[in-house]
Amino acid sequence: MQVSLITVIWSMSASACLTLAAIHLLIWAKDRAAVANLVFSLLAIATAAWTFCELWMMRADTPSEFATVLKWGHVAVWLLIVSLVVFVRNFLKAGRPWLAWTVCGLRTLLLLVNFLVGQNLNYREVTHLGHMRLLGESVAIPEGVPNPWILLGQLSLVILIIFLAEATIAAWRRGDRHRASALGGSIVFYVLISTGQTLSVFWGVVRVPYVGTVFFMGVIAVMGYELSKDAVRAPQLDRKLQVTEAGLRESEGRMSLAVEGADFGIWIRDLARNDIWATDKWRALFGFSKSERLELDCILERFHPEDRDAFRMAIEKAAEGDGRYEVDYRVVLPNGELRWIGSRGRVEFDGAGKPMIVRSVSQDITKRKVAEQEVQTLQQEIAHVGRVSMLGQLASALAHEINQPLAAILRNAEAAELFLQDPSPDLDEVRAILSDIRSDDQRAGSVIDRMRGLLKRQNLVRRPVDVGELVGGVIALVGSDAAARHITLSVAMAKDLRPVCGDPVHLQQVLLNLIVNGMDALGDVTGKDRHVSVSASLDGPGSVEIVVSDSGPGIPADKLTHIFDSFFTTKPEGMGMGLPISRTIIEAHGGRLWAESNNGSGASFRFTLPIAAEDLAR
Amino acid sequence: MSPSAPTVHVVDDDASFLAAISRLLRANGFSVRTYPSAHEFLAQRGADAPGCVLADLRMPGMDGLDLQSAVAQTSNPLPILFLTGHGDIPSTVRAMRDGAEDFLEKRAPKVKLLDAVKRALARDARERDARARQRELRARFDALTERELEVLSHVVQGRLNKQIAGDLGIHERTVKLHRTAITTKLGVQSVAELTRLTQEAGIFLEPARTFPKGQ
Repeated sequence: MQVSLITVIWSMSASACLTLAAIHLLIWAKDRAAVANLVFSLLAIATAAWTFCELWMMRADTPSEFATVLKWGHVAVWLLIVSLVVFVRNFLKAGRPWLAWTVCGLRTLLLLVNFLVGQNLNYREVTHLGHMRLLGESVAIPEGVPNPWILLGQLSLVILIIFLAEATIAAWRRGDRHRASALGGSIVFYVLISTGQTLSVFWGVVRVPYVGTVFFMGVIAVMGYELSKDAVRAPQLDRKLQVTEAGLRESEGRMSLAVEGADFGIWIRDLARNDIWATDKWRALFGFSKSERLELDCILERFHPEDRDAFRMAIEKAAEGDGRYEVDYRVVLPNGELRWIGSRGRVEFDGAGKPMIVRSVSQDITKRKVAEQEVQTLQQEIAHVGRVSMLGQLASALAHEINQPLAAILRNAEAAELFLQDPSPDLDEVRAILSDIRSDDQRAGSVIDRMRGLLKRQNLVRRPVDVGELVGGVIALVGSDAAARHITLSVAMAKDLRPVCGDPVHLQQVLLNLIVNGMDALGDVTGKDRHVSVSASLDGPGSVEIVVSDSGPGIPADKLTHIFDSFFTTKPEGMGMGLPISRTIIEAHGGRLWAESNNGSGASFRFTLPIAAEDLAR
Repeated sequence: MSPSAPTVHVVDDDASFLAAISRLLRANGFSVRTYPSAHEFLAQRGADAPGCVLADLRMPGMDGLDLQSAVAQTSNPLPILFLTGHGDIPSTVRAMRDGAEDFLEKRAPKVKLLDAVKRALARDARERDARARQRELRARFDALTERELEVLSHVVQGRLNKQIAGDLGIHERTVKLHRTAITTKLGVQSVAELTRLTQEAGIFLEPARTFPKGQ
């Protein structure tokens, strides 16, 4: 028996398609998310079905048999085109939706037409079957009355090609070059050829039967290859995942070792699920048992009452900003023990920018805090000693400052006594005297208050401080000393100054120290040019710069670097602590203090102070 | 108060003390003028009115000591009383050496203050009289000629006419004529009186301009 090549080729094509369809259907069945595989299966099934139709048509004996097979073949074509469109949208992730809908809609409409108008979509009636030889066999070729609707069918094929071409170009532009060229390019190529072949056959340009399958097998092959690459990649990924997991476990192990070693406690708060997870170390830090359920309220209850708000504010600020926070606070353990905790954490957000998770590491910093506090206390003690010694230097001037109003009070009182001895005393004069006595008393009192303020042994408490008042207060203290030493004090304040954040007593101490230093520097200067000036101006958006300049000889370059060293002094009775103390104070305020020599025309001491936060916010 | 009544000039940069002390002094019957600075005082004070100055030692600009030297150089060197808030030894020493009338603390007892002011005014009156007399005497001496003054300088040294004539290289008779002219012009009778007057007028405080040759 002679073997029919056509039967062999078309049947093999169909079975190859069906095999691929079965494989990919199985993949989809295992993983329902693999929609591309399902669509490919449908495409392959449709191709197989159309292949059978083609074979049947070539072997048709009567025109009506041919017409009927072609009619049912259109169901396969419909499925083929729709699957192709869905596949391209799904796998290539490209293509204009409206083109896709147009193609699918048109084909569905044409499927209806196929069953309702004429014998099928192609022919109103197949009138005659011609025959030709293909691969050594006689195959049927239809002749008949074309169905006018076929034009719409051919239009739908053109739109399909446009859709495919556009999707390919879009994928290419997007940078998905491999898929665009291998998949998109070959689909377009084969669809173009098979459509061209179909059209040529239909309009009788060439006399061959419908053999689109031959070309469409190319599409199936390319698609199958691309999809199988994904299938191959899966086990590779799986192996990688295993390696990664092992690495992750290792890194987790190292991490927990580091966390334990560094005495860190970790806690994670899931805001969405309102769940708190913490390591055993963290629980120990906060005095919770290992099994106790953690609630935010219980945790906040452990916080020192004064620190709760600061902690909340730190988290809120982090949630509004970049998510990071760092905060120190005290916790009170159930046994009453006070513990300092240092926490660093991160707020993580969901896609909409809503805080989702707060992760935090905490550490016991009690020892560090205690040490810091000791250092602070010591610094404050030194600063206090500095103030006492400075006031000692100013004592004679301050005594004068108090004596002046006291003398006025005495003389006024004596005058009043005399006025009252008069038989008809001038009471207006006496009233004026009493009023003067009151204001002189207040004047003496304010000098004493100012002195007492400076002598107070107090902690550094920061609050908004008006720079003008600060400078004014110090000038009032040194004014009479300056007058006695024939020194002119001048003050220049910028108009746009804003309150700084600081402790007025400590800041006055710095100013007092710098001004007295400036006056001491004028010791050898004779003549008219004996002045010390104080000026203040904004230094950038967040700080104020205050400058104390004198008209003395300036500071030699080799001493400029040492003047801030402890016990460095050029004065016979100096302790060498004034400038180091001042620098410590300014740095504790978050500012800087430095000196400049003005090329023989005196020295300038400059320091910066941050503008008070509440003022900055305004 | 008569225009010639002595005035107490108070100079102090502290307005409140200035008001208080001027009230006290006025209540005690003094005529008082106040000045907020040494410069103001120097610019405003009368040319030759009696009085005294009560000045703060420590003042910005021109201080008490500067004021003292400025006042001393004028034709009306009023006595100065210094006021100070507290003792300041170097300044005190300088002020007293330069002839300060007194040195008072601002809160010194009232009696001490008033006594010091009275003393200063008395001293001013005394010095003013002395200055007036001296001016009057000097006017009389101004009438003498150069030669007569020369002769007078020898006379008050107790030299005889013959010695004077020898020293000056003139005739003894001429010396006698000069002596007569001197006693007439100065209105004195005796050599003793002439000597006292010369001392009082404060001339020849320096050694005689000519000295016996060969001695």
